[in-house]
Amino acid sequence: MKSLSNLVAPLLLATAALASGGCTTVVIDEYRRSTGELAVGDSVVILGRRHSSEYETEPDLIDCVGDTLHSPEAGVNVIPEQQFVDALYPWFEPRKAPMHIKSLSKLMDIPDVRDRMEQYGVKYIVWIDGSTETTSSAGSIGCSISTAGAGCFGFGTWDKESDYEASVWDFRDQELSGKISADAQGTSYMPAIVVPIPLIARVQNNACKGMAAQLREFLLPPQSASR
Amino acid sequence: MTIWLNGLRTMGRLTAVLAAVLLTACAHTVSVDGQFPTPVGNQHPLTVGVYLSDDFRQFTYSENRDDRDEWNINTGRAQKNLFETVLGSMFRETISLAQYPSDLPQGLDLVIVPEVRELQFTMPRETRVNIFEVWIKYDMHAYNQRGDSVAEWVITAYGKTPTAFLKSQEAALAQAINVALRDAGATLYTGFTQVPELQAFIVNKQRALSMQEVTGEK
Repeated sequence: MKSLSNLVAPLLLATAALASGGCTTVVIDEYRRSTGELAVGDSVVILGRRHSSEYETEPDLIDCVGDTLHSPEAGVNVIPEQQFVDALYPWFEPRKAPMHIKSLSKLMDIPDVRDRMEQYGVKYIVWIDGSTETTSSAGSIGCSISTAGAGCFGFGTWDKESDYEASVWDFRDQELSGKISADAQGTSYMPAIVVPIPLIARVQNNACKGMAAQLREFLLPPQSASR
Repeated sequence: MTIWLNGLRTMGRLTAVLAAVLLTACAHTVSVDGQFPTPVGNQHPLTVGVYLSDDFRQFTYSENRDDRDEWNINTGRAQKNLFETVLGSMFRETISLAQYPSDLPQGLDLVIVPEVRELQFTMPRETRVNIFEVWIKYDMHAYNQRGDSVAEWVITAYGKTPTAFLKSQEAALAQAINVALRDAGATLYTGFTQVPELQAFIVNKQRALSMQEVTGEK
């Protein structure tokens, strides 16, 4: 009976630790040039910028923003990134994608491309540029196995920082509707007393949720967004 | 003495087996087999023959350097798929040629023959960035029906994996190569009319077609 409680206690501790996680702060800024005009039947495309050789906007961040934002009942229909990029190959490949709204209007001179965009009902194209990086780390954890058993001991900590900027292009009006930036920071901890207990700060995930919430307000007309 | 000789032979065999095992352990084989989307855009008014040589269809990049493990990277099937898909959608009519330059069908405006000039890659431990990167360079040749060179140009392609996290080296490299091949297809498609000789060739063809239409109408 005693051995069972010995097992359960660290497990409960680990679960509680996982549930609490590390701390994250998210700051969202918005610059708006026009009000949201997303209507029934309109679609939004969320795309990641991947032209830099030093970093690339993570596909899972783009999926996360898209999945969080997608809500047909609320009037937001998001086209998955890969589906859209494949359907318009090769015009939205990392090194060919339009960098400015003016280049987009030039792209619309190609009838097949324009038709495909209209078939999808694209109203907004949201370009997300940025990445999440581990900025610093400290501490160490050592693990050993012996005839008496195995275990780890030590303490590790690391900081992560997310820095993203979303540019919202109004495809139909061919103009920049605004920009949203998300800066998130968080510290994760990993104390290890026999068993390592990760206290993970979900920095990228929190940046994603913050951006998606702000984008929803941005894209929908004022009365629909407040609903 | 016989025992010594037998012992030495056994040791020799063991060393050979051990060396073989170690060599196999350090050799990596990657076979890339990508499918690529059909490009969207205008078709050029040309009838084009495409010759993908056996070397091209079965291309394998092999590398065995002292500072790296042995790598054998087969991109043949994927690049065959890519060039067939992209070139197949670029022109009014595309004919796949089983041989070149003999037995060419009549009525071809151009014959396009791609060749791999170079493939390079870097691993995360070499660049200290947690991504795999790939560069591929193709030499492109365009000939007329008589076999004269119309244009020669180079396509450079770049691909990288977003991260090497939770992937084998082989899977990560295959993913980076697929990204590079998509980039090659994009450059081939969008850069075709930026080659001056090809631009002039298409303009001449369009002019000839409009002349035909005018004389036909009359």
